[in-house]
Amino acid sequence: MNSTKKRLRILTMCIAVIMTCSLMAACSSGNNGGGTGTNTPAGEGGTNAEGTAPADDTPFEITMMVTQHSAEVPSNVIPQLIEEKTNTKIKFQWVPDGSYDEKLNAAFATGSLPMIVSAKNTDFAKDAIRADQFWEIGPLLSEYENLSNLNPEVLNNTAVDGKIYTLYMERPLSRQGVIYRKDWADNLGLSEPKTTDDLKEMIRAFTQDDPDGNGQDDTIGLSDRSDLIYGAFKTVSSYFGTPNYWSVEGDTFQPEFMHEAYMDTLNFFRDIHSQGFMNQDFPVTSKTDQIDLLVNGKAGVYIGSMPDVLTLSNQLADMNPDGELTVVNGIEGPRGKGIWAIPGYGSVVLFPKSAVKTEEDLHKILAFYNELMSAESANLLTWGIEGEHYEIKDGLANKTVDQVTDNTHVKPHNAWAIGGPATIEGMLKGYFELPARALAEELVAANDEMLIHDPSAPLDSPTYIERGGALQQIITDATYQYVLGDIDEAGFQKAVDRWRAEGGDQMIQEYTEAYQAIQ
Amino acid sequence: MNQPASAPRTGTPGPVISHRGERLRRIMKNRYLYLMILPGALFFLLFKYLPMWGLVISFQDYQPYLGITGSNWVGFKHFERLFNEPTFWMIFRNTIVLFAYNLFFFFPIPIILALMLNEVRLLMFKRIVQTIVYIPHFMSWVIIASISFVMLTLDGGIINELLVFFGFSKINFLLSSDWFRPMYILQVIWREAGWGTIVYLAAIAAVDPQQYEAARMDGASRFRQIWHVTLPAIRSVIIILLILKIGDVLELGFEHVYLLLNSMNREVAEIFDTYVYTAGLRNGQFSYSTAVGFFKSFVGLIMIVFANWLAKKFGEEGIY
Repeated sequence: MNSTKKRLRILTMCIAVIMTCSLMAACSSGNNGGGTGTNTPAGEGGTNAEGTAPADDTPFEITMMVTQHSAEVPSNVIPQLIEEKTNTKIKFQWVPDGSYDEKLNAAFATGSLPMIVSAKNTDFAKDAIRADQFWEIGPLLSEYENLSNLNPEVLNNTAVDGKIYTLYMERPLSRQGVIYRKDWADNLGLSEPKTTDDLKEMIRAFTQDDPDGNGQDDTIGLSDRSDLIYGAFKTVSSYFGTPNYWSVEGDTFQPEFMHEAYMDTLNFFRDIHSQGFMNQDFPVTSKTDQIDLLVNGKAGVYIGSMPDVLTLSNQLADMNPDGELTVVNGIEGPRGKGIWAIPGYGSVVLFPKSAVKTEEDLHKILAFYNELMSAESANLLTWGIEGEHYEIKDGLANKTVDQVTDNTHVKPHNAWAIGGPATIEGMLKGYFELPARALAEELVAANDEMLIHDPSAPLDSPTYIERGGALQQIITDATYQYVLGDIDEAGFQKAVDRWRAEGGDQMIQEYTEAYQAIQ
Repeated sequence: MNQPASAPRTGTPGPVISHRGERLRRIMKNRYLYLMILPGALFFLLFKYLPMWGLVISFQDYQPYLGITGSNWVGFKHFERLFNEPTFWMIFRNTIVLFAYNLFFFFPIPIILALMLNEVRLLMFKRIVQTIVYIPHFMSWVIIASISFVMLTLDGGIINELLVFFGFSKINFLLSSDWFRPMYILQVIWREAGWGTIVYLAAIAAVDPQQYEAARMDGASRFRQIWHVTLPAIRSVIIILLILKIGDVLELGFEHVYLLLNSMNREVAEIFDTYVYTAGLRNGQFSYSTAVGFFKSFVGLIMIVFANWLAKKFGEEGIY
């Protein structure tokens, strides 16, 4: 009896101790998680500054937060080579693409940003940038041979109040186009679509005329997803001549959805949706499901980024060995040709003063990026190691590595390169075995001839920062509702009126004033 | 452990020293109990009470680089914005309606299920059923939402294919504001009903078998036994869970609703939690979203006090 009691007592104590310990562990690790950004760089920056004075060979430690696009854990092979070259030690915080904005805002709110912050643009921190919380680097760029090659126009698109705080990663201005099943088109005797009517006819025929010849009504034309920007909608809207978010007429700004061309696009989609020519649930379809429809041979048209034709073809080959995809762009609408452009950068990097304490450290980071913009390093980050990940063919980089290795060794590190082929002399462009992919490369270049730019890119609107997201939601909702036939033109107009009343008019005015100010 | 720990403290006259000594002695005596409380108490202090200070940023224009101590105080500005927001009443209504669904459609189900399980005589069968109904609780909402998507989609979903097969027309479950609430509550029931029975089953197990015997002697049927013995016996458990549920009035499961939310059902599906997420975390308006969250918790507090008061009115114990 007594011994049981004793044993019980010991057990209780053990449990209590274990629970307390695990609680402590949980909160101390929580503290670490939050603290890496604030404490480590500060602490290590300090030791480093002291360390560098006597002996210059201690690697400089850099912390950076980078978007992780693949599911696999990135390998360390390429970063190690870069570290040797630049005499640095890079600490990565890989953040999955899907939750990057959230993590960024959270790190920002808790003051735990790393030394190098990569972001889609500067919107998340405009106030902080104005309050001098980030290093202004514009005047320093000319001191660095490679960094001075960055395009001033693109830099200006990233500027806040005309001052430059960021380096940028280059992106082709527009990669958007149409990918479709060439074998289906051949079966039905359809030629390449040249106009929006051709495109609609192809989408119809792929649905109704049994393009796969199996005698069953089991195909649809277009496969789309819950993304009005990078899905089909915005690209088709530029075929109809819709402005890229905003238009300037005279001196006045107008949002895209107040234009007739936007209405034409709405009707285009409403028409093909109501007749069952596209996936009926596209407002809730994920990219994976959208791709599945195409590669499983259910749908024949995919509108989005043309270079995707490579991965799509690979996946299609697994499911339908006879299938063939090709790309087309320059679809002509009632108002001529057009394609929307991004402002010339894919993402930007900023340097918060909370983590980069001294100007000396800032210069070390800029020197690091200057090295990344050398042809040799840029090729390393983009293509990997010559002979191991790629070989040079006709002066172009030809990937020789399998998809899995590519996804862990090379691709993740594309995300922290800056600049690109247009700003780095001697940087290799890609060689593509697949003709459709090579064609996509040409068409991306050809898109440059018909770009529709976003005039608001270098401008600033406080209302947009405060409630731009909520306002855009009104229009996004109304767009889906119109396409699905839940509301009519008057209903859409009502949403536009709501947008104007809840801050849209203010945004129009702010952009107009900002525009006039720089004219 | 059953020491007269609750001996009237006020009654002890004596000097302060001995009073303290007395208390120390008592603590020493029950030191293992106190030790066991420690992790729980620490948990609440660290993760529930400490973070509450963060609420002050709802009265500030919080700027991360200025911090809580450096940001400007703006009084009720963010609350004013919330109440003047054109969508405020829509969000408020959606939240209340979903809560009502929870209360009327979900809350009774675990009770009924527990009563039914209790009547099963075949022990083996009962165990198997119990295990099966517990399983959904361990699935994340992401999985449940994906399963529903696959089943309900218009593009080859099994439910719609069946509808067509039996000669009905397809129903757009996912993209309709009419189907959002039924879909939401059915998913809640599917996931949580089984898990919810645990507490009730435990309460039922504690009922004295003699009472059933007595009821049987009086000729009570099975239904009569449930009505006059089982239900009154677990009444206080039901009331307590009801109060807790009402306190959670605005906790409808952010993740769940967010996964079902889309442009076509926003007018019925946007609730405070999803609004806080879009306005706050995605657009970086920390103070405003804290104000929304604060308002939400405040309503919850009022409701729980009210429910507790009501329970006491009806002669029940309540939770405090």
